[in-house]
Amino acid sequence: MSSKYYGSRSSGALSWYLQRVTGMVLFVVAIGHYILMHYHLDSGHTYDAVLSRMQNPLYKALQISFVVLGLYHGLSGTWSIFRDYKMPGWLSWTILGLLYIAGVGFGALGIATILSF
Amino acid sequence: MSSNYPARGWARIILTYHKFAGSWAWVLHRITGLVLTGYIMLHIFALMSLQKGKAAFDSEMVLFRTPVFLFLEWFLFAFLLFHALNGIRIVLVDLAEGARYHKQLYYAVVIIGLVLFLGMGYIMFTQDTLHAVAAVK
Repeated sequence: MSSKYYGSRSSGALSWYLQRVTGMVLFVVAIGHYILMHYHLDSGHTYDAVLSRMQNPLYKALQISFVVLGLYHGLSGTWSIFRDYKMPGWLSWTILGLLYIAGVGFGALGIATILSF
Repeated sequence: MSSNYPARGWARIILTYHKFAGSWAWVLHRITGLVLTGYIMLHIFALMSLQKGKAAFDSEMVLFRTPVFLFLEWFLFAFLLFHALNGIRIVLVDLAEGARYHKQLYYAVVIIGLVLFLGMGYIMFTQDTLHAVAAVK
């Protein structure tokens, strides 16, 4: 496999496939989330509305999966854009490291907010 | 490590870029994807106020209930719709026979997206919402 000569251990096929699978899930979840939050101004902009939805454990689980899948899909997509450009190794690793830190950091923040209810 | 395209060549690349449906879909998918990725992080950060309780969250939301932010949120839907609908187009091209009709799919993405965007705008800016905005002021 030619990819091993460019410092990559994998062909990238799994992340390519996962990008499509997570995208299909996010298609439903993200558009649904947007409509739910905006069909009425109070729905997404008041604490009471959020609190009442968060009483449902299934809704909380859905929100956590939204945070995880959204960040994974977004940051993996960002990395795939960077991979199109030829970069020195140190820069490539730095960008990848920052994307991982952003994913773990914002993922933890989002999950902490959801679990605070 | 030097690039094949010197900085002064970028303008020429942009101006001579093939303006076909597939190229536009590719460019716009990347731009909307980057914006949405930035937004989800900003969104998670902004919603941390939910951890501080009702007073903190509702006082923060006063800003987001202003017409300017409502308008920005409406445009966020345009980015989301394009990325989501074009994502379906990509899946059809990659995993089905979409390559045979990818241009028609692109036009469908634009038309369906536009209809849903305008429909959502109608819902967001109807009387109920405007009353709610007025109630905050």
